[in-house]
Amino acid sequence: MRKALVVVTSVLLAAFVLQFVFAAVGAFTKPASEGAYTLHSVTGMAVIPVLILLTTLFAVLAKAPGRLIGLAILPLGLVVLQALIAMLANASTDIAGASTPFGLTIAGLHALNGIIAVHVVVSVLQAARKLAHPPPAGAARVAVREGEPA
Amino acid sequence: MTTGSLLAADLVITVLAIAGWLGGGAASAARRRRLALCLAAFALVATSARAITITVLAHAGWWFAAEKVLIAAPLSLAAVVVAGPRLLRPPGDIRSAAVPLLFAGYATSSALLVTVLHGYPASAGTGLLAVAGVVAVTAVSWRALGARPSRTVSRAALVVAVTALLAGTGLAAAPRTAPAVHNHEYREVRTVGEPTRRFTLTAGTATVRVSGRDVAAWAFNAQVPGPELTATVGDVLEVTLHNRNISRGVTLHWHGYDVPNSQDGVPGVTQAAVLPGQEFVYRFRADQAGTYWYHTHSVSDVGVRMGLYGVLVVRPAPATGVDVTVPVHTLAGLPLPAPRTEPVEAGTPVRLRLINTDSTTHRYALAGAPFRAVAIDGYELRGSTPLVDTAVLIPAGGRYDLVFVAPATPVALFVDGRAVYSTGPVSAATSAWPLLDPLTYGVASPVPWSRFDQEFTLVLDRGLDLRGLLPRYAHTVNGAADPDIPPQVVRLGDIVKLTIVNRSLVVHPWHLHGHHVLVLSRNGKPATGSPLWLDSFDVRPGDVWQVAFLADNPGMWANHCHNLPHADAGMMLHLMYG
Repeated sequence: MRKALVVVTSVLLAAFVLQFVFAAVGAFTKPASEGAYTLHSVTGMAVIPVLILLTTLFAVLAKAPGRLIGLAILPLGLVVLQALIAMLANASTDIAGASTPFGLTIAGLHALNGIIAVHVVVSVLQAARKLAHPPPAGAARVAVREGEPA
Repeated sequence: MTTGSLLAADLVITVLAIAGWLGGGAASAARRRRLALCLAAFALVATSARAITITVLAHAGWWFAAEKVLIAAPLSLAAVVVAGPRLLRPPGDIRSAAVPLLFAGYATSSALLVTVLHGYPASAGTGLLAVAGVVAVTAVSWRALGARPSRTVSRAALVVAVTALLAGTGLAAAPRTAPAVHNHEYREVRTVGEPTRRFTLTAGTATVRVSGRDVAAWAFNAQVPGPELTATVGDVLEVTLHNRNISRGVTLHWHGYDVPNSQDGVPGVTQAAVLPGQEFVYRFRADQAGTYWYHTHSVSDVGVRMGLYGVLVVRPAPATGVDVTVPVHTLAGLPLPAPRTEPVEAGTPVRLRLINTDSTTHRYALAGAPFRAVAIDGYELRGSTPLVDTAVLIPAGGRYDLVFVAPATPVALFVDGRAVYSTGPVSAATSAWPLLDPLTYGVASPVPWSRFDQEFTLVLDRGLDLRGLLPRYAHTVNGAADPDIPPQVVRLGDIVKLTIVNRSLVVHPWHLHGHHVLVLSRNGKPATGSPLWLDSFDVRPGDVWQVAFLADNPGMWANHCHNLPHADAGMMLHLMYG
């Protein structure tokens, strides 16, 4: 079960990486339109939440410590927040529908929140790996960080 | 502060409260006492602030606050009652405050989800589902945190969660009265006499040149916009529509022209879509002068965006002076029409017919001469006065006619800051100009009706729509999305009053087919200017518009948001009478 936790967390991390790719696809699609972000929206609102729930479920089944379970479910809150930020940013336009500095500032938070969510998932993956391969007693702590995408 | 920004502010405050409660819960689970207490105190402040925003919203209109008062307020109250005492008298081991704080976070979160995913109207079903979610997640957290609840508490939680879940699902999934909107026997074409103006429009894919680039488009007669159709009052128009190769079908809808229902061009409602190789003949009498436009109503979002639109101008008499149409559109991200400059002799009367064929509002500014707005949506305004350095906002689908006498110096029309038509070089910064409010422009005359036979309220929002094959985040009217919105049934001769409320965060340009509506009031303030007979008007976030019309054109009429992606995503209903 602990191995399964590592696997599902890795898949979640991969989905997050793809999510950044899809954001770029949306940003560079010409002509610009709302439809350009379809992949990004579907991944963000359906695929990633399901994977987060799976990760949390596996963390519970693997009898992971409470901290890891909490960390595993945290991205769900961040993803809901992410959708709300996008909604508010889209709503903060001027009277003729053009972007405003305020709206773009909110939109910036969408990027920052995304980075935070990825870091949380990376921490979950590290903790899950440690759980799957506990270091032999007395061994020195290995101080190697995972490569972080984004 | 407008009601629209208050709606957004309330959402932000809710998110902050959730972050405070959940963060506080996590901090206490980690025995970070100070942090936990600070975050919880912050959440308490945010929750109290919400009491203010909800009260103000309820005052602005029950529609804006219904689910907040009925579902969010009780849940927030429960949050404060459960978590508050832990904050006032913090327990020795802060970890024991974790579950109450998390409960408060879950309660606030579920209320937020109700607002965002369901909205108006508040229903017992969603309220119960919210409660079930909160109880279930709290119970799971309680177990996960190790401090197991007593057996009685566990059982009680289980019973509450399951009961709420079952009752909520039952209520939410109960079938509503299924409306039968689409009649598939299209009415006979009414004879209107021999045509005096004949046009042929052939729809097909085409490559058009915009701003020096070749763009793939869908076009009438291989041009975007399609040919300008002109007529004089009294003409009988006959327009033959051919579909060469638009596989998803085309129709012609005469936007703002109140034609007989059979000529209205709404596929599945007034006719079948014209498929490749087929044709349809539209015939109607041009009895109303003004600026109008036509567009396909078959897959209208894509179709209009790709270029299936054109101008219809009906003049009372042959044009005198300079008469220019400016149909603004965005094709493949590029603005249309191309900028045009023509010198006009001083003293010549000029009429600019401004049309917005996009799905969003545009801002038009005429620099260099005083002008008058003489007509909106084809209908003349009463007592229009000269305007200087004033911009006009035209909603999606809307039209304004501006007139001026050409001065000796150049004049230019800017659309969103881009010069589109000019009589010579003009440099003007128009972005700071004030906006014309048509509700206070011109000379009033009394509303022609003293009673209303039928009244309908349309509350515009977003919500999860589970009735289709795939769940979607729809644009909704009264909590339902097309085709599940009950039709509005009236009788011939009724005076019908519509109240249109926007509780979403985006603008909805409202468009009723077959009728012009008279604006009665906006946000409680009566219209004091010239009578406004509109077919397209922007209902901004937080706005409440009251409009009325005489039901004198029987049939089945689309009544929808003219931001066409919104219409596609559910914001479309029908008005019917025989």
